[in-house]
Amino acid sequence: MKLDFSGLESSAPLYGGNNGLLCDGFSDAPSFDLPVTSDFDGFQKNSIQMVKPAKGTTTLAFIFKEGVMVAADSRASMGGYISSQSVKKIIEINPYMLGTMAGGAADCQFWHRNLGIKCRLHELANKRRISVTGASKLLANILYSYRGMGLSVGTMIAGWDEKGPGLYYVDSEGGRLKGTKFSVGSGSPYAYGVLDSGYKYDMTIDEAAELARRAIYHATFRDGASGGVASVYHVGPTGWTKLSGDDVGELHYSYYPVEPAIVEQEMTEAIVA
Amino acid sequence: MSIFEYNGSALVAMVGKNCFAIASDRRLGVQLQTIATDFQRIFKIHDKLFLGLSGLGSDTQTLYQRLVFRHKLYQLREERDMKPETFASLVSAMLYEKRFGPYFCQPVIAGLGEDDKPFICTMDSIGAKELAKDFVVAGTASESLYGACESMFKPDMDHEELFETISQALISSVDRDCLSGWGGHVYVVTPTEVTERILKGRMD
Repeated sequence: MKLDFSGLESSAPLYGGNNGLLCDGFSDAPSFDLPVTSDFDGFQKNSIQMVKPAKGTTTLAFIFKEGVMVAADSRASMGGYISSQSVKKIIEINPYMLGTMAGGAADCQFWHRNLGIKCRLHELANKRRISVTGASKLLANILYSYRGMGLSVGTMIAGWDEKGPGLYYVDSEGGRLKGTKFSVGSGSPYAYGVLDSGYKYDMTIDEAAELARRAIYHATFRDGASGGVASVYHVGPTGWTKLSGDDVGELHYSYYPVEPAIVEQEMTEAIVA
Repeated sequence: MSIFEYNGSALVAMVGKNCFAIASDRRLGVQLQTIATDFQRIFKIHDKLFLGLSGLGSDTQTLYQRLVFRHKLYQLREERDMKPETFASLVSAMLYEKRFGPYFCQPVIAGLGEDDKPFICTMDSIGAKELAKDFVVAGTASESLYGACESMFKPDMDHEELFETISQALISSVDRDCLSGWGGHVYVVTPTEVTERILKGRMD
């Protein structure tokens, strides 16, 4: 049986020497003209910093009795500017596996779709679904091979396989962790606070959804780079379902309604012109 | 992030018919983290003169305290309130005094001058005055604010329409800025009354 190693192959360009005049189109590596600058190392570092988006987001996932709960906000920010309030950060890899997006939007979208393709190929080759362990390992190996090249991916792979619910954290530094509770992004400290204090393994689906929603809401309140819509998904034995997508601006006033304040009316002499 | 974006702020002032409005957001943050949602950025100097200060929170509070001190001395000596044009010159001079170690603030001054004619102006952090006849903006959301004001502003609005316009301009601009928002604070000043309102905004 031929094993599929394509997931392990690095498609990163090999660094061949740029031979200048001697090179007449036969060099292995694609190359480009070096920019005219006195400080090339600084330039390279600055340009990677410019392209590397900060992980301005809040995503979370946790395993409980009834499966996996996955939630995320929907804001995309470029420095201080909000570029979108309606980004889909929970990516549907296949009907029984979800991935979350934190970091570079393009990186996450592309590599999750790539993972979806590899999972489907695995299914066809092996006549059975890939496990969450296997899928997360595929993604982690791909990201490891691009380590140091400026990819920015902080994702959680959540799914239900033969062993039950599975949750893995995978990032672009090459890390892969198995766990029961994760939150990723700039708003994660705030989400962890709510998640840790409210978490119980024995929760109903509704209780877990409300916990996830509340955690995302609190993160969007405190973190400037998170906001928009709090989406909540549930992964069960029959696959994932989207439970809710609530606008965080409205959630605030439903959790903390405005009490009409006593208005002070000051009567002072009006200076008549 | 620059020092001007450390705390995050949004300020706008608009001129209407014999009235003016000045509005700010209410967030105080430390870079991306929100610390307070009731931070005061607009200060009353006297009944017909308001000062809004955007930029680093610490400098806005210090500058405000120094300006109030100078204005109180002026009131004692001259036995009257300062005219807005005079106050603007005072602020400009105080900011330039610190030319080589500036206050990291951008002030917005709005007042009713002689014959209750509305006066607004803004300046950069070292005191370059910019007088405008229609609106002035400051803060991290200033680019969005310029766009919103330019499209929503009409000359000679009465105080109710002015309130609606300035509120809409502020809220729609801060909704596109990570570092400002979390509510709004609007003062509308006519020759006979000052109305202070808190705006309900997106708290994200």
